[in-house]
Amino acid sequence: MKKIVLDARDMEYPLPLQLSLSHLQKMTLDEYLYMLHRKNPIPLIEIAKEKEYAYLTHNHNDIWHILICKNQNCNLEGLLDV
Amino acid sequence: MFSQGGLSLEQAPPLSVVLRFFISASVFGLILGLFLLFSSLDFIPSTQYSFDLTIIHILALGVMASFMLGAMFQMLPVIAGVVIKMPTKKAMVAHILLTIGIFFQIGAFYSSTPLLYLLTAIVLGSGLLYVSILMLKNIIKIKDHSSSSKGMLFALSSFVIVITLGVVMLLSLGGYINSSSFSQIREAHYSFALFGWISLLIVSISFQVIEMFYVTPKYPTIMSKYLVITIFSLLGIKTIMLFSLLNSQIIDILISLLFIIYATITIHRLYKRRRPTSDATVWFWRLGMSLLIISMLIFILGDNIDIDYLGYITFIGFALSIVFAMVYKIVPFLVWFHLSNQGYMEAPMMHDVIHPQKAKIHFWLHLSIISLWIINILFSIPIIEIIANTLLTLSFGWLLYHLINAIKKYRYIQKNYDSIEW
Repeated sequence: MKKIVLDARDMEYPLPLQLSLSHLQKMTLDEYLYMLHRKNPIPLIEIAKEKEYAYLTHNHNDIWHILICKNQNCNLEGLLDV
Repeated sequence: MFSQGGLSLEQAPPLSVVLRFFISASVFGLILGLFLLFSSLDFIPSTQYSFDLTIIHILALGVMASFMLGAMFQMLPVIAGVVIKMPTKKAMVAHILLTIGIFFQIGAFYSSTPLLYLLTAIVLGSGLLYVSILMLKNIIKIKDHSSSSKGMLFALSSFVIVITLGVVMLLSLGGYINSSSFSQIREAHYSFALFGWISLLIVSISFQVIEMFYVTPKYPTIMSKYLVITIFSLLGIKTIMLFSLLNSQIIDILISLLFIIYATITIHRLYKRRRPTSDATVWFWRLGMSLLIISMLIFILGDNIDIDYLGYITFIGFALSIVFAMVYKIVPFLVWFHLSNQGYMEAPMMHDVIHPQKAKIHFWLHLSIISLWIINILFSIPIIEIIANTLLTLSFGWLLYHLINAIKKYRYIQKNYDSIEW
């Protein structure tokens, strides 16, 4: 699986949403988005849910790790990097 | 524009719901500018009383309330998790009643015709009460309040009080009821309007947007938790004192001090941005907060009518600055978001919808207007007043042009490109 990294911790809203949506729209089945954020980006997760993408959110040391994949069978837990 | 409560942007209302209010606010701004300009050129005969009432209400309702209600329709679903069912229809009803009501009101203030006062009370009162109670009813249902949603509850409650008192005054001016406490009602009306509705709404929204938009440290918990309720309670106490014929100056001073603390902390937060970039919306916020501090200092220290005018002008400058800051963030975001989510790969990025440079030009226009108004109050130079009013017309014309342009870009993409399923 090819990892698309997006470190949005210092980005002003709504840039993280803009960039992540742009990645999701172009994503192929063998890619996944790995996003770091200071908040849980609920709007993004809701969109991923609605578009039936696989997703995982995990808070580690006050940093949110968000993994989203177009392939529903993708094992995101195994790709979590904490 | 974002969510903390598990609701998606999908539940945000259609673009037209928000933009109908923003467009009409800009048109009222244009009318206000032209009205002031023609008055300064002596083209419009009026008494000082009807003139003051007219400009205050075009500004407070036509401009401010329109912008604020439009923003509320957008923000309530995503900031507070409140879903307003059939938003397009409800926004249209409120918008039509508000717009017609304002014209009735201008007519009433100018002609003092009892029937127009009655029509204003019915049309404007019902339109504003309808929309504010609709929003309030939904906010009350929230189980787990954030500081922003709780703040909105108090801001809207203030608005309901403002409207109710306004209706009483209109009926009283029209001679339909006999109000012996007119001056107390009037003071409670504008106290709740300025400090409750306008200021508390800005404070509540800032608790969420300052940190999110500009990557700043959080507001102190004591402030985000207790500031709004404290100010609302103080306004309640002030009203009781007014009707008991007690001097409520101490309450005004306390409220002003609290706003000074809030504005100082907001400016401090904006200087602590993690990645400071040149952004006109930050300039608007900084200017707005600085003007709020000046305005509140004047309310505390002022002791004559000219100084009081300065307080009002700086307060208007504060409120408009924040409104402009929000509009330049909300509109480009919404155009981009709605198109992008509909699957248009060619959706313009935010800076292509309204280029940041355009917002900067508006900022300098806005700053010039406030500076010229202040100079005019201090030195009373007719030509300065004319220039300021011309620039005010230009300022709202500028905003209107860019809002219409944003809509055109939105429609152009929808019409000329194919959307993808994703």
